[in-house]
Amino acid sequence: MPSVTHTASVATAALAGAVEAQKERLLPCVHCGFCLPACPTYTRLGNEADSPRGRLHLMKAVVEGRLDAGSEAFRTHIDRCLGCRACEPVCPSGVEYGTLLELARHTATSKVPPGWLTRGLLAVMASPFLRGALFLGGRVLRVTGLAALGAKLVPALGPLRNARLGLAMLAATSPWRPPGRTSGSAAAQPMVPAGSRPTVAVLVGCVQEGLYSRVNDATIRTLVANGFEVVPVAGQDCCGALHAHGGDLERARSLARRNLDVFTAAGVELVVVNTAGCGAAMKDYDALLEDDEAYAERAKDFAARVRDATEILAEVGPRPGAPIQTSVAYDHPCHLLHAQRIEQAPLDVLAAVPELDVRVIANASECCGGAGIYGLTHPDLGGRIGGDKVRSVRAAGADAACTPNPGCMMQIGAGLRLEGAREGVVHPVELLDESYRRAGFYNGADG
Amino acid sequence: MNTPLETRIVRALNAIVGPDHVVTDPERLVVYESDGLTSYRVIPLAVVLPATTEEVAAVVKLLHGEGIPVVPRGAGTGLSGGALPSADGVVVGTARMNRILEIDSDNRIARLQPGVVNAHLTVAAKPYSLYYAPDPSSQSTCTLGGNVAENSGGPHCLKYGVTQRYVTGLTVVLPSGEVIRLGGAGRSARGALDLVGLFVGSEGCFGIATEIEVKLLPVTEGVRTLLGIFETMEAAGHAVTAIISEGLLPAAVEIVDNATIRAVEASVYAGGFPVDAGAALVIEFDGTEAGLDADADRAEACCRQAGASEVKRATEATQRAALWNGRKKAFGAMGRIAPDLLVQDATVPRTRLPEVLARITEIGERYELKVANVFHAGDGNLHPNILFDRNDPDELDRVERASKEIMCLCVEVGGTITGEHGVGVDKRGYMQLVLGEVEIEAMRAVKRIFDPSGLFNPGKVLPDPASPPVPAEASA
Amino acid sequence: MSVVTSLGDVLPAEALSGAEGGALARVARGAEAVVRPRSPEEVVDAVRWASANGVGVLPVGTGGRTTPARGDGPFMVLAMDRLSGLEIYEPADVTLTAKAGTPLADIEATLAEHRQWLPFDPPQVSSRTLGGLVATGESGPVATAYGELRNHVLGATVVCGDGRVLRLGGRVVKNVAGFDLLRPLVGSRGRLGVVTSVCLRAFPVPAKDRVLLLRSDDFAGLEAAARAVRTAPTLPASVVLWVRPTSQGAALLVRLHGAELTVDADQATLERRAGVSFARADSELVAEVRDDATDAPVVVTLSVLPSRLFEALGAARDLLGHSSVVADAYSGTARIALAEVDTDTVRALRDTIEEMGGALAVEAPDEGPEVRAAGSRPSDAETGVSTRLQEVFDPSGVFWPCRA
Ligand SMILES: Cc1cc2nc3c(=O)[nH]c(=O)nc-3n(C[C@H](O)[C@H](O)[C@H](O)COP(=O)(O)OP(=O)(O)OC[C@H]3O[C@@H](n4cnc5c(N)ncnc54)[C@H](O)[C@@H]3O)c2cc1C
Ligand code: SF4
Ligand code: SF4
Repeated sequence: MPSVTHTASVATAALAGAVEAQKERLLPCVHCGFCLPACPTYTRLGNEADSPRGRLHLMKAVVEGRLDAGSEAFRTHIDRCLGCRACEPVCPSGVEYGTLLELARHTATSKVPPGWLTRGLLAVMASPFLRGALFLGGRVLRVTGLAALGAKLVPALGPLRNARLGLAMLAATSPWRPPGRTSGSAAAQPMVPAGSRPTVAVLVGCVQEGLYSRVNDATIRTLVANGFEVVPVAGQDCCGALHAHGGDLERARSLARRNLDVFTAAGVELVVVNTAGCGAAMKDYDALLEDDEAYAERAKDFAARVRDATEILAEVGPRPGAPIQTSVAYDHPCHLLHAQRIEQAPLDVLAAVPELDVRVIANASECCGGAGIYGLTHPDLGGRIGGDKVRSVRAAGADAACTPNPGCMMQIGAGLRLEGAREGVVHPVELLDESYRRAGFYNGADG
Repeated sequence: MNTPLETRIVRALNAIVGPDHVVTDPERLVVYESDGLTSYRVIPLAVVLPATTEEVAAVVKLLHGEGIPVVPRGAGTGLSGGALPSADGVVVGTARMNRILEIDSDNRIARLQPGVVNAHLTVAAKPYSLYYAPDPSSQSTCTLGGNVAENSGGPHCLKYGVTQRYVTGLTVVLPSGEVIRLGGAGRSARGALDLVGLFVGSEGCFGIATEIEVKLLPVTEGVRTLLGIFETMEAAGHAVTAIISEGLLPAAVEIVDNATIRAVEASVYAGGFPVDAGAALVIEFDGTEAGLDADADRAEACCRQAGASEVKRATEATQRAALWNGRKKAFGAMGRIAPDLLVQDATVPRTRLPEVLARITEIGERYELKVANVFHAGDGNLHPNILFDRNDPDELDRVERASKEIMCLCVEVGGTITGEHGVGVDKRGYMQLVLGEVEIEAMRAVKRIFDPSGLFNPGKVLPDPASPPVPAEASA
Repeated sequence: MSVVTSLGDVLPAEALSGAEGGALARVARGAEAVVRPRSPEEVVDAVRWASANGVGVLPVGTGGRTTPARGDGPFMVLAMDRLSGLEIYEPADVTLTAKAGTPLADIEATLAEHRQWLPFDPPQVSSRTLGGLVATGESGPVATAYGELRNHVLGATVVCGDGRVLRLGGRVVKNVAGFDLLRPLVGSRGRLGVVTSVCLRAFPVPAKDRVLLLRSDDFAGLEAAARAVRTAPTLPASVVLWVRPTSQGAALLVRLHGAELTVDADQATLERRAGVSFARADSELVAEVRDDATDAPVVVTLSVLPSRLFEALGAARDLLGHSSVVADAYSGTARIALAEVDTDTVRALRDTIEEMGGALAVEAPDEGPEVRAAGSRPSDAETGVSTRLQEVFDPSGVFWPCRA
């Protein structure tokens, strides 16, 4: 038979261990191909190896000892996956692709470490000190306008194009304020008694804290305005999503354990996350820690307590605020829609803003190409996918793009900026917050 | 062990389609070793992904000149191994040929590339209130090129007919690389033989369809879906006969049996079927809103008379989806309860259904195999699904023997060995059950018209002892 | 006659009785013999004999729709009328198998007892034989709702030019076992072989068969209504445009099939869309229109995309003066009956139609070859494949009388 079998070696067999243990998860894949049209890399490249079914097939080949996990083929195609998990909801057999992908990345990276960019970023994110420094620098570039300027000046092609994209992403984290001003009167609104709903904690996050602390603040304010008691939890860390996606399962697990400990110690009923990627990762802590005897049970319990910010707000039916007369082009974040299967909640949150014109963009369920640092590691393909998304956003003809995930906000925002588009980017909770502010909910008595 | 493609040929292929669209590395080719039928695995020498008719023609011509076999491939969802590669051949995939070229709403036709996904055509036609009728259960992913090659059917083909009825014209790259155009809407008065009809269902053996012209239909105004629960398959079978004898023309009549209901209910897709129900029947009527309730009433009466314990009815899309759920999720649910699943496909005259089903059950019991039936009852198109574990050689052997017995049974009652999945590599051995040597020889001769050198999708459809199929077990 | 004598060695005398007149006599003109086999075996014997003796074979049903032998040389007529009778009919299967010479009228009568029918309405459908219907491949305008004949032929037995007997397809409605040699057989007009038995899918008789009628002085006045009907969200059973000779006006006939409520609603939809109100007509008018424009010395058939039908008929106006036209407005085909023809006019019309992306065929049994040749031809590539397909079915070319 052809030579793939020859690449199987004893070393591979050992390294395949992590995937091997996942045989149970791989077997349900019946090779039906239902996932192909959902996959952004397959629909653009047309190569089976860049499809979910193909990637699963490669994993199976590794498990069967027919393919070396360190092979260039395995690494390239596993690496090229966006991790958007669009392949999961369409799978009739319920294959848990996301979990398998993390394990495959782990297996591949244990053999051949990833590029310096990925390694560097993952190390920085795992360290509160390093990431603090990085984001501080970022904020300086943003506030001074240097990020925006740099993005404009650096040529689109050439050695610095990654820097250009990075600067544009940074610039894109600037806030967008909808037009109009305070209009409502708090008195007209029915009150939600403070603390009448469960006690919650909000995940502060890494990128979120560094560049989008305003979204964190908005989350806390809107929760409180809807009757939740929000408890600050010190000592929490990055959720570990980037590490898990990058195959660095060890670091991901240690971050997960730390978060699990501190949030549990705080005694909150629910943990609220305003970042789709982090929420998805934390809802998967049970799978991540399933082999950890000390944590497996607790992780299950913890995972069940994680809520996306829009999910928890939609669940209680957020009280309406003051009107905002603007239009937004809404895009589904993959990690909300596909990983957490949440489609309606963000739209329900936006519906609590009177007069807001919400337009769900064409192909809103497809990945924007952000996928963590995908745009940096795969500039060509990421650029194509991102370009299509920016086109859909612009076709909606709205004032701003709106999506409940900072990664997507940065990716879409950067794309818009690089095209010189006028649309801003905003998180749905930011809009709800602004609507509440205009309604006067935060004025003294009501605050 | 095959010698890899000569560098000279790889270079020539690269020059035609661009190096990004040529795969020659065996480690990458492993993903192409199977289609939807994974019990066969063969790794090809290369995979080429052209984007236009011209590129396909140039690739095919080159390979033809070199004497290298070609296997066309769409989405690879085929269930008879039609897209199984040749070990000494090149797979030509249509994944990048996914553009809808034109929707002519006035004439209700569409022209498209072969890699367009079946359901995407219907989505694109929707703004014109049109749709593409043939709806294989795999429609969300299978390609029109694959549908043309397999003459695919689907649940609604009971009323609307299979792929062949909708294909009006084709552009085909012949095995020599020559490009020909067959048929074409508005050109029927040429007195030509129906070569489009001949090409449809040719399972990739006559050439590659690179442009397809199909008819579209107006979206129907209303739909009624009924779900009947029965104690036995026999009762459900009688209900089907009663409905048809009533003169009703449902759009679809689908059956799931108890084994399937149990599989679905045991899975994450539990649809709320009573697990002890012997069978569930999904019946759908579509058309002008005004007449639908009357049709549904008559069908419901037929079900009740045949002993249905319960009949549910749905009008809205979400309710309909709920009733269809058990039918549509059956395949995936089975994937979860057994390591391997053999999806069989055969057709019998509808009136023989109750008898055939009873005998299939008997065969399953005799070979100690789990057989779950879920199928297009209105057409008599059976899908007995055998659940098994490939790693158990004894069981594998029993699966093989039971399969063959089921096929013989279907032929014995006046049926055939495949209703919609095609012969491919899997059913070649059964062809003599339904065709004599004269018919098979005539088919070989027709194949030679298109492919005199026998390099196109070799080893498929026609029994040919020279290159026997390679099951996975043998290659492992 | 020597041919008959030596045929007598292989066939019993009863099979050799000649043509007594009528349509059969018309196509038998110039034939060496008329053979009327009573069994498939006799068909095989006759064809084998013909093949061995260099005699051409012209299979006919009733002869009513057969084009007389095209070309020169000795040939025999193989009349299939005696090979008649239903073989299998299981009403609950809604399929039937019958011998090729079975008159469709008989089949219709049997089906009607079970409230079933064959949804094909080409001209003179009732006086055709089953084999003849399959050989011409004509479905008639009800194909709009039911699909074409070629989609409903489930199986056939065919005797090839060298006496081989091929059993193609089967008797189930879905069958993809092997290449589909049935499709080219349907509509092959005897070019591939003699069909001896056919299995067809039947349909339940609709509760209502309503015929709507819209008249106009000139066919052009019906264009808007025809367009509205053919692009309506509801699919009629058929949409037929009928143009009467010399200023007798034109009419649009729309058939609706279904339950009473359904056809009421469909009629309302069509009237709303077309902005007209239809009169009702009966099935006699349907039959009259169906059979019109067939019994003429020259019949020109043209096909275009339906959106260009009226334009095509406009281009044919020169020809239309004294002729009837029956057009299927849903598929874009039209049949024009002509008393006489001028080859140049036909050629010019053909060129115009072909420029519109369409095609044109001429049937003129009594005219010279250049008139018949004035029709559109398949492309060279298609002709190449067709010729080789004929060679597979008929290696020695005994069916030459059927070929152009
Ligand atoms: C879950 C599931 C459900 C299914 N349900 C149905 C069903 O209801 N009805 C049904 O009929 N089938 C069904 N199928 C089978 C399968 O989906 C169909 O046969 C489909 O038409 C195959 O399309 P494909 O694009 O995947 O083709 P492939 O599997 O890639 O190829 C199929 C055949 O077509 C040839 N081919 C592909 N493209 C071309 C081309 N452009 N020109 C010439 N030849 C070509 C290949 O060589 C091969 O022989 C199902 C399959 C699955 C997995
Ligand atoms: S949809 Fe699921 S079962 Fe089907 S190929 Fe994709 S992952 Fe496998
Ligand atoms: S996660 Fe996204 S990119 Fe990766 S295989 Fe699934 S659909 Fe494709």
